[in-house]
Amino acid sequence: MYRPAEGAACSLANSMSSDADTPASARRDFLSKASTLLMAGGLVAGYGACGAMGARYLFPATRRERRWQFLARASDVRVGESITYRSPTGERVAVARRAEHDTAEDFVALSSTCPHLGCQVHWQGSEKRFFCPCHNGTFDPDGRATSGPPFEAGQSLSRYPLKLEDGVLFIQVPMEGLSGSADAGAGFSHDL
Amino acid sequence: MGALSTWFSERIPIRPGELRELTNEPVPNHLKRWWFCLGGTPAYLFVVQIVTGILLAFYYQASSRTAWESVRYITEEAAYGWFLRGLHKWAATLMIASVVLHQMRVYFTGAYRKPRELNWIVGMGLLVLTLLTGFTGYSLVYEQLSYWGATVGANIADNVPVVGVLGKQLLLAGEVYNERTLSRFFLLHAAVLPCAMVALLAVHITLIRLQGVTELKDEREPERDEGFFRFFPEHFLSELTIGLVLMIVLAALATILPAAMGPRADPLVTPEVIKPEWFFYVAFRWLKLFSGTTAVLSMGLIVFTMVAWPFIDGLVRARRPKSEFSVYLGIVAVLGLLSLTIWEASVEH
Repeated sequence: MYRPAEGAACSLANSMSSDADTPASARRDFLSKASTLLMAGGLVAGYGACGAMGARYLFPATRRERRWQFLARASDVRVGESITYRSPTGERVAVARRAEHDTAEDFVALSSTCPHLGCQVHWQGSEKRFFCPCHNGTFDPDGRATSGPPFEAGQSLSRYPLKLEDGVLFIQVPMEGLSGSADAGAGFSHDL
Repeated sequence: MGALSTWFSERIPIRPGELRELTNEPVPNHLKRWWFCLGGTPAYLFVVQIVTGILLAFYYQASSRTAWESVRYITEEAAYGWFLRGLHKWAATLMIASVVLHQMRVYFTGAYRKPRELNWIVGMGLLVLTLLTGFTGYSLVYEQLSYWGATVGANIADNVPVVGVLGKQLLLAGEVYNERTLSRFFLLHAAVLPCAMVALLAVHITLIRLQGVTELKDEREPERDEGFFRFFPEHFLSELTIGLVLMIVLAALATILPAAMGPRADPLVTPEVIKPEWFFYVAFRWLKLFSGTTAVLSMGLIVFTMVAWPFIDGLVRARRPKSEFSVYLGIVAVLGLLSLTIWEASVEH
């Protein structure tokens, strides 16, 4: 086995230390740092891209789709009357007629989803209000919050977009969500 | 026997002396009292949860169409399913209770102070993970409470400024609870959160081992020579005793008060009376007292203060070394916690 003599090792060390300031060693130094930086950059960029793809993957591919659906013939709903509509996802929507100008603005379609934290409100006939059992939010028949956290935050029950075409009323509702057992469609109700 | 031990010692090159030194942590004498062993209790219950959880996962089907029915099958048809589900439910309850009690003990004995600040923060992480695991766990049953709890939880995330909307979408896999939501809760509950807990537990225990358990000295007690006893076998035996008692308590609770089946989730009807699990009563009442954003931001501030408490306390004590401020604040916090919980438990709305 080859073993360098002690003197040889010393002379090698001396030659390296004397080599420290030469352009060759500076070049070596630069190349070494640059390649390290390049590799580190490649690693960060590569794994970063993978991480970003993974994070994006976790978000659903489609946004919640909304479509216009037939609601009722405008002439079938008189002023002061309200009907209940079930959306394709099963949500109950209270639609009331407030005026008779034969425009979509005559009607109001209130969502039954509480604007506070998403529970379903229900109508309390004796109190003439919508009530949310989750955090005690209450709303008047127009959907304005009257007490509880939604009132403090100035929230109201949201309204679905409506349009009137040739005397037919359409409502824009989400198509995705866990549906209930009931079929979609409008039904008359006078309890509101 | 000699040949076998040689065979193993050649393949696992660690000497018995080294092993003894690694495991035989000196334990301060106050740990002879069981209420100082509350840290080991959730660790034991965590193991119970992993074992019973794996068994439940054999039959559980994480989809909104099948989840409730599969839980019903476990509860009513699978052999001993009702018992395993009862154990899982009660071990979760006791685990959360013991984590909270452990944290109170650490707080009131000042065990979070220098040099153990980081371990307090790791412990806070474990508390949050435990609560999240509890939350995702009861969401899996897909009964009314599960569905509305998940909806409310996701909308709480929505109230967080800037990142809230993304957080809600990430949790629900959409803008509302949908067909892809439940599998996400299952994965969080059965894989992501437990793995994170195992990682944090490893750090928690390593830091305890490196720093040692805080020594409690009562000035009124006479000075003793021997302030410590051995981890093995003495302390190990105390932990074993606690494990035995827990087993009896769990088995009794699972039998006397078995996990029941609530009505299947109905996305169209929020029940007239709805309550989360008891450990979220505080948050539930808090949400009734303030508007959404105010409630969420104030809860965030409280959690941040808890995480940063060792450093805040350090600043207070640097100015007034004899200050008992942390004790008084702790008493106020515990009383607040208790009164909000009792308030929520005693009323319908």
